[in-house]
Amino acid sequence: MTMDCESVRRTLGAWLDGEVSEKESREIRAHVEACPSCRAERSRLERLQFVLRAALEEGASKVTFESFWHGIERRISQGRVRHREFWDWLRPVILPRRLAWAIPVTVVCVLAVLFAEQFFFGLGWGPRSNVAAVESIDGHGFNLALLRESETKTTVIWLFEDEDEEEDEPAPEAASTDASL
Amino acid sequence: MAPDVKEEQRVIVEPSDWELVRKCQTGDVGAFQELAAKYYQKVFMVILGILNHREDALEIAQETFYRAFRKIREFRGGSTFYTWLYRIAVNQCIDFQRRQRRAPAEVREAIDELLYERGEHGTDPYDALEGKEVMSRLLAALNDLTPDHKAVIVLRAVEGLSYKEISEILGCSEGTVMSRLHYARKKLQEKLAHFL
Repeated sequence: MTMDCESVRRTLGAWLDGEVSEKESREIRAHVEACPSCRAERSRLERLQFVLRAALEEGASKVTFESFWHGIERRISQGRVRHREFWDWLRPVILPRRLAWAIPVTVVCVLAVLFAEQFFFGLGWGPRSNVAAVESIDGHGFNLALLRESETKTTVIWLFEDEDEEEDEPAPEAASTDASL
Repeated sequence: MAPDVKEEQRVIVEPSDWELVRKCQTGDVGAFQELAAKYYQKVFMVILGILNHREDALEIAQETFYRAFRKIREFRGGSTFYTWLYRIAVNQCIDFQRRQRRAPAEVREAIDELLYERGEHGTDPYDALEGKEVMSRLLAALNDLTPDHKAVIVLRAVEGLSYKEISEILGCSEGTVMSRLHYARKKLQEKLAHFL
């Protein structure tokens, strides 16, 4: 099937760019050779491509590599200067000689942070133990023990009898409830 | 130095470019100078085609190469070197245009300035392209295109890149490249109807 002018013109650019299939290319070529209007369209497209390329080429030919490279080199040097300036600024801070005072200060700071937990209980970074929260009350044979666990907000209550004083009492009873209750 | 065995399969940079790239990756400025000498004109042409302003184009082209130099350690040879370079150039142009947001009047002034320089000196090679009128219309027609349309037509005109390569540079499909090219050519043809 031969192509009509409209479909040829839609793909004429791609054909000139070599971006159509071999079969399509043969069909377009056959049409263009036979159709003066599409042949003229082809010439216009080729001319456009030529004018555009020539214009840009001429524009670029005015720029010499020396002047172009100078601009790049300047940027590279400036980049290196900025890099060097940054290290010049940073170096005094990290120099071992200047760091001498910083070591004891750091040690004191770390110790202060570690000991702060003891003075400001509940800061969150000290060791955690549920044992510290256990309380017990002796009630003449009926004993009560409480375990409060702050992380999960759980309170466990134990009711138990003293074995020395009781003989026929039931087994220990345990109850668990949320602290919010 | 040959590419690593691991990278061998995906390295599609021309051997000479790859050699230079590897040297650049070790901080060899001389090798980068060779790459710049090889590609500066084409990169400049692409940028000039998109920006339509000589001084801006020069500035952005130099910035493109500077950025390429800074980022060259990240280049692994997954694409050709010039495709990678053009991608940086096109992104630079788009960023620049976003920053500038030149008013049409200013663009017109830039074209007039360019034409004035050419008329005054009388030695401009563009005169060979049927004089000021064609140049003026070509620049004006290019300015009417979006940066994406300008990029496809310029990349095709300058380097004769395949649709696949252009699609890699612009991050779009080959079909999009084809339709953008068709549209851009149609628009330029309309504007330059009497000269083509």
